[in-house]
Amino acid sequence: MAASAEDRRRRRTRTAAAIGALVALVAVLATVPLLTSDYQLSFMVNVMSYLVLTIAWALFSGTTRLVSLATSAFFGIGMYTVAMSIKILPLYASFALAIVVGAAVALVVGVLTLRLSGMFFVIFSFGLSEMIRELMVWWEINQTHTMGRYVYVPFDTTMIYEHLLGLAVVVFLVGWLLRRSRLGIALLVIGEDETVARQVGINVPFTKVAIFIVSAMFMTLTGALMAPRFSFINPNFAFNPLVSFVVVIMALLGGLQKLWAPVLGVIPLIILSERLQTQFPFWYSVLLGLVFMVIVYFLPRGVTGLLEDIWKALGRPLALPRGFTGPLLDAWAWLSRPIFLPRGLAGIIEERWLKIMPRANEKR
Amino acid sequence: MAALLEVENLRKAFGGLVAVNDLSLAVAAGEVLGLIGPNGSGKTTLLNLIAGTIRPDAGKIRMAGEDVTRLANHLRVRRRINRTFQLVRAPPNMPAIGTVMAAVLYGAGERVRFKDAGYEAAGWLGEMNVLTKADRRFDQLTYIEQKRVELARALATRPRVLLLDEWLSGLSPSELEGGMSVVWSLAAQGIAVILVEHVMTAVRALCHRVIVMNAGAKVAEGRPDAVLRDPEVIRAYLGDEDA
Repeated sequence: MAASAEDRRRRRTRTAAAIGALVALVAVLATVPLLTSDYQLSFMVNVMSYLVLTIAWALFSGTTRLVSLATSAFFGIGMYTVAMSIKILPLYASFALAIVVGAAVALVVGVLTLRLSGMFFVIFSFGLSEMIRELMVWWEINQTHTMGRYVYVPFDTTMIYEHLLGLAVVVFLVGWLLRRSRLGIALLVIGEDETVARQVGINVPFTKVAIFIVSAMFMTLTGALMAPRFSFINPNFAFNPLVSFVVVIMALLGGLQKLWAPVLGVIPLIILSERLQTQFPFWYSVLLGLVFMVIVYFLPRGVTGLLEDIWKALGRPLALPRGFTGPLLDAWAWLSRPIFLPRGLAGIIEERWLKIMPRANEKR
Repeated sequence: MAALLEVENLRKAFGGLVAVNDLSLAVAAGEVLGLIGPNGSGKTTLLNLIAGTIRPDAGKIRMAGEDVTRLANHLRVRRRINRTFQLVRAPPNMPAIGTVMAAVLYGAGERVRFKDAGYEAAGWLGEMNVLTKADRRFDQLTYIEQKRVELARALATRPRVLLLDEWLSGLSPSELEGGMSVVWSLAAQGIAVILVEHVMTAVRALCHRVIVMNAGAKVAEGRPDAVLRDPEVIRAYLGDEDA
């Protein structure tokens, strides 16, 4: 069924409006450093860095469904590569070096862990982060006799923020393109059933490693960009395992269905953890751990699952009646909205939105 | 007819159990080769070996003259060998058209533009008469629809050799008739079909040639009517008369 000319025009207008709105949003975000206090800016830096980490994590884990706890490894590699090379290299060169190191580690790790699945991969990825951290501690103590490094560069918080914003735009763009590409479909099929993936001609190991590397490069660069923010860096700080867990919780809280959904997980969790940090500095990690346990144990499907249950209990089915509108339209709907992913807060908002604005659905 | 797919002295053992024992076969383009035998006789293992799902311990598999014995599963798909699974396998949470699109994009050989893949996938679903189910998740389809979608997925990779693992089993009489005509049309298009089947009506009607397996080895080969009368075959299925 070919879309009518009017349909196409409307879709084009909508796309143009969406792009316009996004450009405007980025422009507004770019002016944040001019308008805000130091505290607010550092909050925004936090948000941006976790946003990139979470979306990068979702690029790999959301599609292949391999839960990776290696985020802190790559974040740390980025940060520590900059810390170690900053005295010899220009700033941007050390950023580039960090990306190269991160990608190389991701390649090796990816090839080694291809055959692992489920829980084994989770544990391996966690072990990897811890191993790298211990290795770096050992190296610094026994080989270089330093227990930390100073990063003094003319790269202030504003610069960090603007760079992270740019990186966030890029990671969004990559995620967006991925959903509309061959590689994106391959990843979805792999996530669902690897045997089928092989049987349609997908090179499963290659595809997994490729997306793992892409995801790792974003994480590494985030770490690298964050290095100048902390003038003193040691391995225990750079490879903080908490980062890996926080990212997973943020992604699950926000939902993985929509590309922008992690935003909804990142912001509340950062606010929460800052509150905990300032009000209960000594109990911070204990309390954060409790929050994680509550989320994972009582809300295994995230906030979304809870809301869905409430919604169902109220007797209002979440799923909208969907008529058949031609396979292409539905294929498109499927691409922009993989149904198997946890829907998170984004799912709820979307459903509400559709209820308020029943645009295309009404005509079906 | 020159053989398209040749299997020579193939052997596969799982521990002490020899699932496929020194088995050779050949199939030509447009031919329907039946593979029958009692449960556990190694038919599915043989298909897995040919498709590349598992690797043989010994023997050779040649596709159009090229040795594919050591090629990975996805590379054999690109050498035009594809299969369906005994228990229909498909991503449970993806619309039916999803895997077909993936097959068009990855298995079809030539580079298909992403935009066109949807149309082409829809075409394959149409060919299998399940176009109206394109947006359904797999568990929302009936059994025969699932089988047809899976076949569309296999066909979208443009196979020259197609392995059907009990594709006609568990169907109602009218569905069976439709299914048989599908298989027939595949062979008429020049696809070499290897059919693992327990439904003897279908085997008799469709197969040019039948190979009977028992305990991993070939016990008989020939035209279906002749083979099905072979006392060796009857013994394999029903046991000895005094047993």
